[in-house]
Amino acid sequence: MKLKHETPMLDELESGPWPSFVSDIKDEAAKRAKNEKNVEYQIPTDVCDDLLGILELSFKHGRTHWKHGGIVGVFGYGGGVIGRYCDQPQNFPGVAHFHTMRVSQPGGKYYNTDFLKQLCDLWDLRGSGVTNMHGSTGDIILLGTTTPQLEEIFYELTHNMNQDLGGSGSNLRTPADCLGQSRCEYACYDTQHLCYTLTQEYQDELHRPAFPYKFKFKFDGCPNGCVASIARSDMSFIGTWRDDIRIDQEAVQAYIGGEIAPNGGAHAGRDWGPFDIQKEVIDLCPTECMWMDGKELKIDNKECVRCMHCIDAMPRALRIGQDTGLSILVGAKAPILDGAQMGTMLVPFIKAEEPYDEIKEVIESIWDWWMEEGKNRERLGELMKRQGLQRMLEMTNQKPDPRMVKEPRHNPYIFWKEEEVEGGFERDVNEFRKHHQR
Amino acid sequence: MAFISSGYNPDKPMENRITDIGPRNYEEFYPPIIKKNKGKWLYHEILEPGVLVHVAESGDEVYTVRVGGARLMSVSLIQEICEIADKHCDGYVRWTTRNNIEFMVDSKDKVEPLKKDLSGRKFDAGSFKFPIGGTGAGVTNIVHTQGWLHCHTPATDASGPVKATMDVLFDDFQNMRLPAQLRVSLACCLNMCGAVHCSDIAILGYHRKPPMLDHEYLDKMCEIPLAVAACPTAAIRPTKVELPDGKKVNSVAVKNERCMFCGNCYTMCPAMPLADKEGDGIVIMVGGKVSNRISEPKFSKVAVAFLPNEAPRWPQTTSVIKKITEAYANGARKYERLGDWAERISWERFFEVCELEFTHHLIDDFRDPAYYTWRHSTQFKF
Amino acid sequence: MEYEEARQRIFDTLTKKQKSKSKFYFSDLAKILEIKPRDAKKLINKMVEDGTLEYWSSGSTSMYGLKGTGKQAHTEHED
Repeated sequence: MKLKHETPMLDELESGPWPSFVSDIKDEAAKRAKNEKNVEYQIPTDVCDDLLGILELSFKHGRTHWKHGGIVGVFGYGGGVIGRYCDQPQNFPGVAHFHTMRVSQPGGKYYNTDFLKQLCDLWDLRGSGVTNMHGSTGDIILLGTTTPQLEEIFYELTHNMNQDLGGSGSNLRTPADCLGQSRCEYACYDTQHLCYTLTQEYQDELHRPAFPYKFKFKFDGCPNGCVASIARSDMSFIGTWRDDIRIDQEAVQAYIGGEIAPNGGAHAGRDWGPFDIQKEVIDLCPTECMWMDGKELKIDNKECVRCMHCIDAMPRALRIGQDTGLSILVGAKAPILDGAQMGTMLVPFIKAEEPYDEIKEVIESIWDWWMEEGKNRERLGELMKRQGLQRMLEMTNQKPDPRMVKEPRHNPYIFWKEEEVEGGFERDVNEFRKHHQR
Repeated sequence: MAFISSGYNPDKPMENRITDIGPRNYEEFYPPIIKKNKGKWLYHEILEPGVLVHVAESGDEVYTVRVGGARLMSVSLIQEICEIADKHCDGYVRWTTRNNIEFMVDSKDKVEPLKKDLSGRKFDAGSFKFPIGGTGAGVTNIVHTQGWLHCHTPATDASGPVKATMDVLFDDFQNMRLPAQLRVSLACCLNMCGAVHCSDIAILGYHRKPPMLDHEYLDKMCEIPLAVAACPTAAIRPTKVELPDGKKVNSVAVKNERCMFCGNCYTMCPAMPLADKEGDGIVIMVGGKVSNRISEPKFSKVAVAFLPNEAPRWPQTTSVIKKITEAYANGARKYERLGDWAERISWERFFEVCELEFTHHLIDDFRDPAYYTWRHSTQFKF
Repeated sequence: MEYEEARQRIFDTLTKKQKSKSKFYFSDLAKILEIKPRDAKKLINKMVEDGTLEYWSSGSTSMYGLKGTGKQAHTEHED
């Protein structure tokens, strides 16, 4: 079927093996034009045609053709919708208004097809039919609809699908988790449960912006960090354990004997030679806390920093400990403005047990501090840099611990407080002068 | 088209309104075998690229077939995913953090028919709809942002360069020959709504020209104090400007040497556009990671300061990425991530083996952290 | 603080500032009310619900303004 616009540049992205988004949107455009199911499209039928047309124009111009709009949500919500307008509405009327809706994704991004089909029907009827599965933060992104449809979509989502919008702007952003215990033997706590519980607990923070800037929670089940919480969330919850790695010595021998491929078979694409436990596991341990004692693998667990390498390399022989919980790291963010920040260790270990009251206490004390003292558009990490880690500890009632730093400070310029110094700061200069001439 | 009401009454927005219900509960969406064995998984194995088995204490096995997908996806394609999931997986499917799609089955004999079905589906123009791969020591799907398709401040496209890059890296998506996993990410401007700053290879859109000033319209379209306040480097100040016709208007002035090209002013004030065909392009950053495995998580470093936007296939960008990937594949040890490899061989050697030029742009000069990246020792390699 | 008093104070202060700007950060509003942000939030939410205030967002940052004001309001409300 002939499409509305010629797209010679985009057409070049239809070849090659990787799934072509151009082919996909073209099919969608053709489907809407044909409309075999007689859908009463609520936004322009040629929206996908015009989307391809304006993208082709951007490829030609080397510049975007979108303008920002301040529409932020449905009534009473300060987030979940991003306003978008194109700067060539006469030539591309189908995408003149092209707002995004963020839909809060389910934990672990598991779906049944009933839900997905319902969502597809809704978005086919009331939107462009184009989505992101998923956005960077984790939401289902519905790309492109008109203003009058926003409330209609929200009504259908909440009334027919028991489903809410996600966060944007100076809100708690939609929290995201790794698949955790649902299908991973490394997970040290139930990421889905904690993520869901906190998401429900803090719905008001998620929908009604009152923070200085965005705030993100992410939940990684183990230090492998598959959702990258340590790099990009203001509060990062990373599973860990404090007892011993469980060892199955027979399985260790099976690895040594070459009966089981190391690292779950992850290196099968190249001949790396026979597995060498000394070279591939023991020598790579960052704290050198492993050794072979005859045929037995030994671990000095007290020295282990739980980097996961030995477990990743021999998952059938080694398992995480059983006294599990999580570490809370705070303040990670992308580079803008003062440079990228990695999460900083705040709570080395906390049990992840319902109803998670201790965790909530930490969260709320951080918000109290940041809402009071954070400048406009200052991320938590930047406030920490400005006021210091000590202040963070003070506000969250955490005891200083060497686990929170890489090393002690490089300078002795300690800002002693008066109450910390014996006798205080007030002294009698005349008394001093009795022994020291002017 | 006739307007179809959902039931919402615009005159009474609060009537029967449902709010603050959050996402659906994950429990509703677990496949039965996942629900049954949650928290009781023993180990996993990658049977072949893209195919995993997870074995539970109960002896149950779940087989996962992972496929790549453009994260930009039509409802028709999602419906096709549903059709496959209904046919093979009892109506369940999931997505990964990196935009892959996972189809799970509860016995081994269901794997081959599923694989055959998935790999047989192609778009008319020839690309795979559901290429199997993305596991182990290889390249997995690229996480990325919106680009020219939907964003108002991008310095490059997202879906286009991603498609071009994945075509070039496709063999490594379906193979596991690399020393460790190689995570590629793309953010279309420095605001990084997709946080790419801890990726093995990051493709980052970057503007290089300060905003243009539409003086005649600026005060009509924008609130000047908001434009001034939007600037993170305080480069913008209010001023009066005389137009060619002699009329004096309120506007702003930009200290160009302070501009870091973030586009935040344009977000607040559409009369300050900064996109530019020659000015905009791509920065390549390398060597970041988020995992705590062996070494600590680390940031990506700038390896190439600028590459032009060459739509539709960004040949220079993809060739630099291919070169870095090959040098890494040849030089790194088993389990060594790209950043660990570069640190072991030294960055001077990295630029040599990747055949990349080291220019003054690659020496950090931005605020305090810059100092910590300079060499403070006599240990270097000739 | 009583709700009506808070609403009036926000309305008056924002109206006075209309000439220079129409959008304000949450903390600006909390400062006008001279109360803690957590307490201000409840009052300000209510002002959104009764149509005194409306949200504006850059996508990454959110702001508040008196309903229907601002130079971009015309295009954004598509009227």
